[in-house]
Amino acid sequence: MLIINEDDLQTIFANCSREYPNEACGILAGSPGVVEQVYAMTNARPGLASYEMDPEEQFRVMKAIRRSGLGIVGIYHSHPSGPAYPSGIDVERAYWPGTLFPNFPDAAYMIVSLAHPSNPAARTFAISDGQISEVELIVRQA
Amino acid sequence: MPITVRIPTPLQKMTNGKAEVECSAGNVRELVDVLEKEFPGMRERLSEGGKIRRFINIYVNDEDIRFMSKEDTALKDGDSISIVPAIAGGGYNRRVRR
Ligand SMILES: [Zn+2]
Repeated sequence: MLIINEDDLQTIFANCSREYPNEACGILAGSPGVVEQVYAMTNARPGLASYEMDPEEQFRVMKAIRRSGLGIVGIYHSHPSGPAYPSGIDVERAYWPGTLFPNFPDAAYMIVSLAHPSNPAARTFAISDGQISEVELIVRQA
Repeated sequence: MPITVRIPTPLQKMTNGKAEVECSAGNVRELVDVLEKEFPGMRERLSEGGKIRRFINIYVNDEDIRFMSKEDTALKDGDSISIVPAIAGGGYNRRVRR
């Protein structure tokens, strides 16, 4: 289960729409299962079908999250034309290269589909043990 | 004062759960060797053909080694090293599959 405020979800959708037709990406910081802060990140390898966070920015943000006493509870990115479901590359990159050790075991992967650009759809998944399982996304109204 | 290495969560299995280890090494390449000696298997996790793996980023005191001398980046006592997996992925290349 991942709980997110409606305005934080709208922040994510706005980021994804702004980057369209490229993929947008970001980090969700919070306490276990609850998003408290959204960090929109720079996609260092923008393209229609990939993202990679700018490494220095990622490092800086991870440090800031640690220092604020929060953890990485989610990682989001958009699929500009595909479904809100992890692609093969998403699954591969969720693990340490050459292993099935999840890189961020406490993070859920949120994917925002812009297949209908005016109506973004978000779904959230756990990627671990070689499996993809949906995590319930609960949107809290302000 | 030794070098402090911050171990990412997915590799903490290899360090008996330790998030930080201390060691001595003259450069990043040596660091990989030293870690391998102490935690067998670490070399393969970190490098491939003598180079740090793609999608693994290494920072020396907050600086990415790719913008220094990569594997030859010099280390000295008191340095703080972080090993961080890249956050990356992809989409569907305009083909919709499930
Ligand atoms: Zn994707």
